[in-house]
Amino acid sequence: MNRKHETDQEIERGKIGAFVDWVNADSPDIPAEIEYEHEEHHGEHHEEHHEEKTPQAQIRQERKVVSWMYRGGSLVCGLLLVAILLFTVQALPRFGEREVPAFNEVSQRYLEEGLTETGAVNVVAGIILDYRAFDTLGESMVLFTGSIAVIFLLTQLSKKAEGEEDGSKKCVESLPAQVIIRMVFPIVLLYGIYVVFNGHISPGGGFSGGTILGAGLILCHLAFGEAYTSRFVTVKRCTGVMSVALLTYIAMKTYSILTGANHIESGIPLGTPGSIFSSGLIFPLNICVGLVVACTIFAVYSLFTNWKAREK
Amino acid sequence: MTIFAGLLLLFLIACAISLFFIEKLINVVIVFMSYSAVMAVLWLLLESPDLAITEAAVGCGITTLLFILTLKKVNALKEEREEEDEQEA
Amino acid sequence: MEMIKFILGSVFILLGLFVFGVATFGIFRFKYVLNRVHVAAKCDSLASILVCIGLMFFSDSLAGILKLILISVFIWITNPVASHLVCKIEMETNENIREECEIKEEML
Repeated sequence: MNRKHETDQEIERGKIGAFVDWVNADSPDIPAEIEYEHEEHHGEHHEEHHEEKTPQAQIRQERKVVSWMYRGGSLVCGLLLVAILLFTVQALPRFGEREVPAFNEVSQRYLEEGLTETGAVNVVAGIILDYRAFDTLGESMVLFTGSIAVIFLLTQLSKKAEGEEDGSKKCVESLPAQVIIRMVFPIVLLYGIYVVFNGHISPGGGFSGGTILGAGLILCHLAFGEAYTSRFVTVKRCTGVMSVALLTYIAMKTYSILTGANHIESGIPLGTPGSIFSSGLIFPLNICVGLVVACTIFAVYSLFTNWKAREK
Repeated sequence: MTIFAGLLLLFLIACAISLFFIEKLINVVIVFMSYSAVMAVLWLLLESPDLAITEAAVGCGITTLLFILTLKKVNALKEEREEEDEQEA
Repeated sequence: MEMIKFILGSVFILLGLFVFGVATFGIFRFKYVLNRVHVAAKCDSLASILVCIGLMFFSDSLAGILKLILISVFIWITNPVASHLVCKIEMETNENIREECEIKEEML
């Protein structure tokens, strides 16, 4: 509204200013009648409320000052942090040089012997699910703990809010969206499964594939609502699948550590590199991680949508 | 290619600084989403497609969805809209 | 042959980038949500498909071309639906929508 009063000043700002105004659709080129109608309409309201709400206006002004101070302070802090980080980055060795501490016999061994020792064409999968499988177990445990916390908090609350009205059946009531999602949903799931199963051959793996699977389930939940998705996936089943997948992961890794530490033949064939059933334990481990991630995402999403804030 | 990467990094810094000046929480979430999208391209430039896929799926998709859901559930979006209306009136 | 491929591919990619630019411009230029969604939906699907066609000229294998065709079909199917949903939600939640544009009764 107050943009209109400044038009005279803004014209003086020259061509660049006029161009900026044109981009913001502020120039007088646009049909002016609608604008003026709005302005009169709102102007009356403004005068009416102005006399009544002077303390509120003062509060608003104070709030504005505080918020500008807050923003200035946060900007200074942020720039300081950026400066400190940039200063520290100078001391680091350059990216990809031989003097980097990370460039030692460990990474050399991973790159040279990775294919023969793990059987995975994708070296990243070989590292995160074979050499450093404990790391991945910790990451999956973090996801599991997070979803358990969400389940613990939100099911308590939603039980109390239950019975008033059935808000859980909400979905997008739009025919085109439902038809298209019915078409796209299996393709998304198929792609997710492909990414999980091909984790040791091509880029991807449990985490990315699991996320895609979870996103596909969320899409289905969005389109058809709780009543449809609860036929094949519920929060309860999600927790079950998560626990089973994590326990399988732990069992498999325990076996491989036991046999590896005691120099026993593990008896798991590595297979020919490049085929789906190769690289020993990496293939089932990928599936476990993918299941954990997908179930976490879907459980958190469905709990969030079902949870209702208590009335004030 | 280094020029391109530099431009993307500058965009990341611009995103990070612009967060100070944004009042609406929903806009913050959208800026965060664009940050993740650019980050995914950067991971691809650093030759780690695994991370790029994960960043694109988690950062752009799931995180944004959960943030917006949370904002909706704690009624932050509604209050913002009402404040907007008040200011206009 | 290589030269023709290169020129055709770059022409298509540049066209796509131009349309992307127009879309970004339009999103800032227009004021109301429905206008913006209109720009974003049309220009985005056209531009991504133009870029995909341009990339097809640069890809060496048949598998790459097929993947690009799949991607463009996917965009062609999903992008209009996403915009449709945004428009529908705007129609349902915005109370002043009648002041912003003309609405026929049968659309509601």
